[in-house]
Amino acid sequence: MSDTPTVFLIDDDRAVRDAVGLLLQASGLAVETFASAAEFLDAGVVHRPGCLVLDVRMPGLSGLDLQKELRAKGHRTPIIFMTGHGDVPMAIRAMKAGAFDFIEKPFQGQTLLARIREALASDSRQRRRQACRDKAAARLALLSPREREVLERVAEGQYNKVIAAELGISLSTVEIHRKRVMEKLQAESLSDLIRLLALLNEQP
Amino acid sequence: MAPSEDRPWPARRKALLSDEHRPESGWRRWRLHHLHPAAVSLLFTAAGLLWLLVVDPILAAGFHGDGAKRLFEQWPNVLVTLTGGILLYGLLQARANSAARARQAQELRLSEFMERMFDVAFLKDRQGRYVLLNPAGARLACRSLSECLNRDDLALFPADMARKMMEDDRRVIASGELLSCEDTFTFQGDTRTFLSTKWPCRDSAGAIVGIIGIARDITVEKRAEQRPQRARADLEARVRERTVQLLTINENLERQIAARTRAECALRDSEERFRQLAEHIREVFWVHGIEQERPLYVSPAYEDIWGRPIHGLHDRPQDWIEAVHPDDRARVQAAHVAKRHSGHFDEEYRIVRPDGTVRWIWDRGFPILDEAGHTYRIAGLAEDITRRKLAEDQLRRQQVELARMSRLSLAVELASNLAHELNQPLAAIVAYTQACLALLHQANTDPRVLTGPLEEVVKQGLRAGEIIRHLRELVHKHPAVQSALDLNALVRSVVHYAQLEVRQAGVALRLELADGLPPALADDIQIQLVVLYLIRNALEAIGEENGEPREVILHTAPLDADRVQVTVRDTGQGLSPEVRDRLFQPFFTTKAGGMGLGLSVSRSIVESQGGQLWATSNPDGGASFHFSLPIHAPS
Repeated sequence: MSDTPTVFLIDDDRAVRDAVGLLLQASGLAVETFASAAEFLDAGVVHRPGCLVLDVRMPGLSGLDLQKELRAKGHRTPIIFMTGHGDVPMAIRAMKAGAFDFIEKPFQGQTLLARIREALASDSRQRRRQACRDKAAARLALLSPREREVLERVAEGQYNKVIAAELGISLSTVEIHRKRVMEKLQAESLSDLIRLLALLNEQP
Repeated sequence: MAPSEDRPWPARRKALLSDEHRPESGWRRWRLHHLHPAAVSLLFTAAGLLWLLVVDPILAAGFHGDGAKRLFEQWPNVLVTLTGGILLYGLLQARANSAARARQAQELRLSEFMERMFDVAFLKDRQGRYVLLNPAGARLACRSLSECLNRDDLALFPADMARKMMEDDRRVIASGELLSCEDTFTFQGDTRTFLSTKWPCRDSAGAIVGIIGIARDITVEKRAEQRPQRARADLEARVRERTVQLLTINENLERQIAARTRAECALRDSEERFRQLAEHIREVFWVHGIEQERPLYVSPAYEDIWGRPIHGLHDRPQDWIEAVHPDDRARVQAAHVAKRHSGHFDEEYRIVRPDGTVRWIWDRGFPILDEAGHTYRIAGLAEDITRRKLAEDQLRRQQVELARMSRLSLAVELASNLAHELNQPLAAIVAYTQACLALLHQANTDPRVLTGPLEEVVKQGLRAGEIIRHLRELVHKHPAVQSALDLNALVRSVVHYAQLEVRQAGVALRLELADGLPPALADDIQIQLVVLYLIRNALEAIGEENGEPREVILHTAPLDADRVQVTVRDTGQGLSPEVRDRLFQPFFTTKAGGMGLGLSVSRSIVESQGGQLWATSNPDGGASFHFSLPIHAPS
């Protein structure tokens, strides 16, 4: 259950919260509703997969404030903002800060559902990539310092002879290191190795 | 003692005052008729004979040498000469007789005059004895005439009087001149004054033989004279006194005149300066006479500004009011009438120049008081303010435009607020309905589960209607521009719409509304916008602060007898001096997204309603914005 993508709906207006929640449930989505940003943060659900549907204007911590705080903590859950009235500067700020979308009340249920589904898909993609990144990082951690030096030079495209001369070791020693790196990182070929490194260098 | 008793005057006079004794000047003694007629005749005859018998023959013999014959031929001439001498004698004798008779008659008249005259006339010899005295003199001495003669004054008059008279006599004899003097004596128990005139009596050789004199008793005249004299002395004293006074007055007067002259000079100078000023200033300087009911002076600028001749104004004072624009005329006329009493005049009005152009005039007058403090003239300045007026008009139009634009932007913001309010129930309605639809699409749905969501839909629909009703109230309910306004109700109503913003800002809003606040007179919607703006301003001021407390207080109270006041007090960062100076300037803002129009427009709105808007710093931090409005006085 805890791995089921969930829509976290936060709105201070009970009627809106209730109605939208009902709509999403009727559409087959898992929904959890909160009356305020603080209530959401206190619930300890921020790490769970899914997306946030937030009202921009709320007493206390506003939608934008919550977005800022989640990003600061490294949570990348997609956020769909709702607003009672189109407020262009606020929308721009939200989008710049990485909002998934910005929709205006009242809205077509289909529109919201479509955006939510996109957001959920984006979140699961995101989470998969993150899992790969985590796995590659774990493998990289197995390398000895000398193997790491050899890997850096191989990734730069240097020949074994050059690497041996730079590191002051024999060519056969370089070849041994290179083989162990390939084994530890579970890479079949040079191109596998390069893709893995690229994944690791990706910004989260 | 009758004058007729004896008449010694002519006789005596003949004895003493004969021709020989009469003092005469030298040449008169040698006049011919004073010689005896016989002597004259004999002389004439002798001279004729001498010429005929001696001189003529000698002369003839000298020229012709024939003297004997000529002597003989002279006898008829001798005869004629002798006859002429006899005739001459007869003639002269006759003339002498007639002259003597005339003199006798004259002397007779003189003696009569002497006897009858009231003045004393006398002749004394050198020793002072009376030789002649008229009856008036004898009467004065209280003696008969004969008793007086050959006696001197000492024998006839009191001693002091006699001595004075004799002393005068001696002076006349010594000097040989006429003496005239006034003497006052106590005489016969009475103070009497005499005017006496004396002169010496000379014989034919010129030697002084006596004294002739006249004396008059002038006691009565003197007394008569003395009364006016005393009166005159009195008068003179008074005159002197008065003169001193007059001199003093005169000195004062001179000083005053000098001062006045100086003042006049100064006045003339200042008048000259004034004239130069009045003639050259661009404003029309005028002086209006209250009694005269017409302008006494109007400076030349009138012709420039009014485009009408000044003399026309002097001839027809109503020329001025006829130049006033018809729309302003009644008002100006009323002010013109009122100024006669108050002396004050301050009007702006338009004039129409003869060429049809219109100019704005600012005309103001002030009273000139006389010494008694009454207004007797009004002086004033009329200024052409057309340019300024046009600039003002333009500024006013710009302000109106700005206010309109800002009201629009305020209205847009208000609408934004309301839209949010309204969109909440709408969003709920839509979501509930679509949820219901989604449930209905599912095959196994029990329709009863739709009851709850559909009831919610109804509730949210009603909620939206409520919001729309409030909106209509806010925008359309008050068509009257200015009406009696319950500020407390207005504040509550605005707070209702600002509630969301207040909540979002995490600010506590407190109302301190005065009970029984008198209604204000203002435009409802405009004042609502101002209050909303001030609340929003306060929220923004607090929003930038992290401190506590976060509070906005809305306060209403009577300001004074005529005004009520609304205060919006915040706990924000307050006003720095430089901000406070520019606070109400258009396009000044401390906010990132603000246009800087809110406060300046709010102030324009409040001022257009006859109120004021101002800001103060709170002693415990934050700022307060206040505005006042006039109280609605039910008529």
